[in-house]
Amino acid sequence: MNGTLNDQTSIYLQIAQNLENDLLRGIYLEEEQVPSTNELARRYNINPATAAKGINLLVADGILYKKRGIGMFVAAGACEKVRGKRKTAFFDSYVKEMIKESRRLGISPAELMGMVAKAAGAEQEEEEE
Amino acid sequence: MNTLTAKDVCKSYGSKEVLKHLNLTLEPGCIYGLIGRNGAGKTTLLGILTGQNPMNSGSVTFDGQPVWENQSVLNHICFSRELNSMSILGQNNLKVKEYLRAASIYYPCWDKEYANRLTAEFGVDQKKKVCKLSKGQMSMVTIVIALASRAPITILDEPVAGLDVVARERFYQLLLEDFAQTNRTFVVSTHIIEEAAGVFEKVIILDEGAILEDCPTEDLVRQFHYISGRDEEVDRACAGLNVLVTETMGRHKAVTVRCEEGDLRRLEGFDVDVAPLNLQKVFVALCGHKEGDLHE
Repeated sequence: MNGTLNDQTSIYLQIAQNLENDLLRGIYLEEEQVPSTNELARRYNINPATAAKGINLLVADGILYKKRGIGMFVAAGACEKVRGKRKTAFFDSYVKEMIKESRRLGISPAELMGMVAKAAGAEQEEEEE
Repeated sequence: MNTLTAKDVCKSYGSKEVLKHLNLTLEPGCIYGLIGRNGAGKTTLLGILTGQNPMNSGSVTFDGQPVWENQSVLNHICFSRELNSMSILGQNNLKVKEYLRAASIYYPCWDKEYANRLTAEFGVDQKKKVCKLSKGQMSMVTIVIALASRAPITILDEPVAGLDVVARERFYQLLLEDFAQTNRTFVVSTHIIEEAAGVFEKVIILDEGAILEDCPTEDLVRQFHYISGRDEEVDRACAGLNVLVTETMGRHKAVTVRCEEGDLRRLEGFDVDVAPLNLQKVFVALCGHKEGDLHE
């Protein structure tokens, strides 16, 4: 039903993450208004209380702020905050998981570093082409 | 205000106990999902909550006033029952238009313009007799009645039965649009759980005539985890946890556990995969026990 949502993560977390993605992509700029709880509820076909929970998460992180009687707005410096948050999440869910998986496969630390360097090099070459 | 409360409700059909000392409170401004297996007592419960079915003992009140035979209270409540072409009840011989007119007399907040708009959108011919409609169209009529009643407490019994996926999605959109405007209480029973899970703020699970769960959907779902891996490792990881379902295949073992977030941290040191469950799977883990017994 709710097209872009999956059932691997709580819906309110996905609402928060999708809004963060939209910020990083420049879909909503700093000091601009973001969709209301009801608009989000309609877009994803979810309960407005759930949408509100997602928005409140970003308010607590200082990424959004409320203008009384008007709606929710993107805070100044929001993109930097999202990037900082994502870096922490990247370390926890990608880097640590990568180490875990490499141990399971018996990849030595040196071998792993080599793989990372190789992947980064391949990426760079693609960019240069 | 607008709180519906059932206290110690018991109901039997002959010697069969259908509802067993059931307690339930419906708070205003909330969309409830009511789920339960066939024969769990969902429709009986909804009928009793709305004063349409008698109970053997217990009470149902709306802001402290009894619901039974109390018109001033019933004005606030709409129970849109499932229509059935096999039913010998009078509504089947009515045209849709006449059925809607009957509803307009019964529900004091009836919104005729809204009813006509919905009927047109669903493409239901108002001149047709109710018994000549397809299963899906009958469901559409029950949806029109529920939404257009504008009743502060609106109950829909399997509104999406027989509807195709597009119509089901549209129904939940309409429900949310209405809810955004009116903030009234909705109770929706359904067997198609997963696509409705995001719409339900709270979920009520009815199992064998008793309320098994009654809490915010999100709070319920996040307690359940699917843990899989090599059997000994899974056993070590899950020692002391509340295991609901166990599946084994050779050395592979997968279990469904129910635990608090804090209990999950202990799993980090083990070589097991941990995955969340969706509401549908939670429901199966909680209520699928009879099927499990058959397999054993």
